[in-house]
Amino acid sequence: MTATALPDVRPAAPAAWRPATDTLAGTGAMIRFVIRRNRIRLGVWWLVIVGLFAYVEAYYRDIFTTQQALDDFATVSNIPSIKALTGLAAAPNTMGGAVWTKIWMTCSLTLAFGVVFLVTRNGRADEEVGRTELLRSRELGTHAAAVASWAVIAALAVAVGVGVSVVSAVGGLDPAGTGITGSLVLGASMTGVGVVAIGIGALAGQLASTSRGANALGSVALGAFYVLRMVGDLGDGRLTWASPIGWAQEMQPWGANRWWPLALLLALTAVLLAISARLEARRDFGAGLLAERGGPASAPARYATPLGLGLRLQRGPIIGWTLTVVLTAMMFGSVVQAMHDLLDEAAGPVKDLIGGTGIDALLSLLMVLIALVATVFALQSTVSLRADEASGIVEPQLAGALSRARWAGQRLLIPGVGSAVLLLLGGACTGATYGALIDDPGQAGRLALAAVAYWPAVMVLVGVAVALFGWLPRLAIPLTWGVLAAMWFVVLIGDALHLPQWLLDALPFSATPYVPLESLTWMPLVVMTATAAALTWAGLHRFAGRDVKPG
Amino acid sequence: MSQTIEAPTASPVRDLAVEVHGLTKSFGSVQALRGFDLTVPVGQVTGFLGPNGAGKSTTIRILLGLLHADGGTATVLGGDPWADAVRLHRSIAYVPGEVALWPNLTGGEAIDILCRLSAPLEPKRKQLMLERFDLDPTRKARAYSKGNRQKVALVAALASRAELLLLDEPTSGLDPIMEAAFTESIREVKAEGRSVLLSSHIFAEVEKLADRVTIIREGVAVESGTIAELRHLTRSQVTVALDGGAEALAELPGVHDLQHLDGHVTFAVDEDQLPGVLAAVAQLGPRSLVANPPSLEELFLRHYGTELAALNGAER
Repeated sequence: MTATALPDVRPAAPAAWRPATDTLAGTGAMIRFVIRRNRIRLGVWWLVIVGLFAYVEAYYRDIFTTQQALDDFATVSNIPSIKALTGLAAAPNTMGGAVWTKIWMTCSLTLAFGVVFLVTRNGRADEEVGRTELLRSRELGTHAAAVASWAVIAALAVAVGVGVSVVSAVGGLDPAGTGITGSLVLGASMTGVGVVAIGIGALAGQLASTSRGANALGSVALGAFYVLRMVGDLGDGRLTWASPIGWAQEMQPWGANRWWPLALLLALTAVLLAISARLEARRDFGAGLLAERGGPASAPARYATPLGLGLRLQRGPIIGWTLTVVLTAMMFGSVVQAMHDLLDEAAGPVKDLIGGTGIDALLSLLMVLIALVATVFALQSTVSLRADEASGIVEPQLAGALSRARWAGQRLLIPGVGSAVLLLLGGACTGATYGALIDDPGQAGRLALAAVAYWPAVMVLVGVAVALFGWLPRLAIPLTWGVLAAMWFVVLIGDALHLPQWLLDALPFSATPYVPLESLTWMPLVVMTATAAALTWAGLHRFAGRDVKPG
Repeated sequence: MSQTIEAPTASPVRDLAVEVHGLTKSFGSVQALRGFDLTVPVGQVTGFLGPNGAGKSTTIRILLGLLHADGGTATVLGGDPWADAVRLHRSIAYVPGEVALWPNLTGGEAIDILCRLSAPLEPKRKQLMLERFDLDPTRKARAYSKGNRQKVALVAALASRAELLLLDEPTSGLDPIMEAAFTESIREVKAEGRSVLLSSHIFAEVEKLADRVTIIREGVAVESGTIAELRHLTRSQVTVALDGGAEALAELPGVHDLQHLDGHVTFAVDEDQLPGVLAAVAQLGPRSLVANPPSLEELFLRHYGTELAALNGAER
């Protein structure tokens, strides 16, 4: 394939079909190869999903010790937002049902997205960079690589299902006297979602000609199926049946315990894979059905400034994070009253978890969550400085009449201003939806102010990221995310680690007044802003004085 | 060992676009430059030759102020490449060896961004260069091949009126037709009195364009001078199919390393003796004849192999 030629997207001439055995030659060798290349990823996906399920199961067995508690949980789960986001279990007032309501959708979607990414990684991505070309020049059938990756990933889906079934059966989620049928149906329903995702990923990889495109297409399809079942679950349930995720839900472990939707899932998978194989057999190597789109031949003048270019390049993340914050905040705002009523009846440990009682304690916790989302955006935007240096893309820019201080300074306006906007939006949207429910329009302004109190804390983390970029460029990106992960970990379980209290209090998120539960004090905010400014200055000063270091 | 030709003393009117003396630069334990000298006269094309890893890109990145030299002096257009980077870059165009672009922007957008960072965009010149290099500016950078990414950087550099062009192996991904377009463009640049530093690891490419050449090896300038002065380095490798009489060729002046194998005779000829030797070969009635310019690596092995071995032995 010469890379200069446009991919040939015309329907291929009806070429002579190759003998079926030839198209699968080398599948065995490819299976070993796919396992070797993905063994760590496969293990991590399995561990994350099964581990998440096991954790929630153990946690719920701890907090729901009576049937009364389960009945209460079932009652408060029967609200639109829970039905929309996670679906409601068929038998919500059983232990299995409670765990299902909490975590089934998360585990299933995690598996589905993981499967789509794995299919792309072993399919379209390899084809795009030319690795498959090298393999296909050997004795390897057209479909061998694809069939091998489908087989290995299907094994992952089965392993996840088996793992979840075992955890469920051993943990005793099945009501006495029902055997382990519910646990088996549960595992099979997750496997079914994973297997359908193989079909979705495979078809996306045939349609798109880039791995980015394939992942985007597969993700959009999963998102659409999720929304279809959401609308179905909120309404009369008919649209739930228009989505394969809905079919898996309707297997109803511990409820109807249906097996036949699994057959639907497997049949859909077979159809999707058959279409993919047919497309693969007829198209040119490297081509996709959807042509890569062109774009403008010239750029507006604002792209020649680092800020203008940065806004253009980060357009996707900026829009994505803004939508995430607004939707999450509105969801929080609409359920906060219901959560409060639930917690009122819950035992002491839950109250400890959120740091107090009353609706303000809950709102304060939500502000921390919004601040976390704003931090992830701000750090993603900040580490792009190092990413641009590592890829070498910064060099032609710095070879223009542009100082390093101006380049980095303008780029840092995006996380600086962007995180403030996200915090304000998040607080305001939580307040507006909550305020609408309790007829108090003042909540929007009050919570916007509470959320923006976290801005200095976010800026301290941005400052740490900039300092790392200046002083330890090669380690800056993993260390930045490591710092955030460590801080969040300590915020969640700090007291269990027996760390000194002064250290816990000094972390940016804990140092911020716990608004609106606590009243706003200025001192910590001023100190943190100054710290952030000092760290940022130190990082930028070092960057201006050191070598540019490509990755 | 260094045969650097003395730089003319600086006069009020600048006659050197780049002047480098005793430049040193280390990355950890690796010494990339060990006292490197280079001059680029104004209005000339200076070839910058060396095998991969010799220090060409390091030198160019120091001249751009992307790297800070450990020692020695470097002057670019009369300024300090580190301290005066922003001011100097208004008059410099750069083509990197490995062109990284924004994958989701088009080639045309990238060209505009790069041009405007130094000077106002001249759409007519951009259009001219796009046509000359046959580049589609509406395609996303991620769909470009290596050669096309290189064309983006070349169009951006040549569409400007920069006083000094720093080109780091600019033709390594181009096909012969595009190399011809490149040659034409560099001749225009020179005709306008602008200066070019052109790095390459292929002697023939530099020979076509350059007025002067500096050869770098292991971070040191090993030769520097005009093309004519370096002519002695270019010894062609000749292979002829002969039925007999090969022994007589070995006696001719300028013929070296003659070997005889199955009716094929191979030998090396000094460039200035080539006409006489070829006439003698013609007398013998050869069935075929192939002549190749020597690769830079061969050239180095022949001229500097032992010195380099000694240098490396002393350092390691």
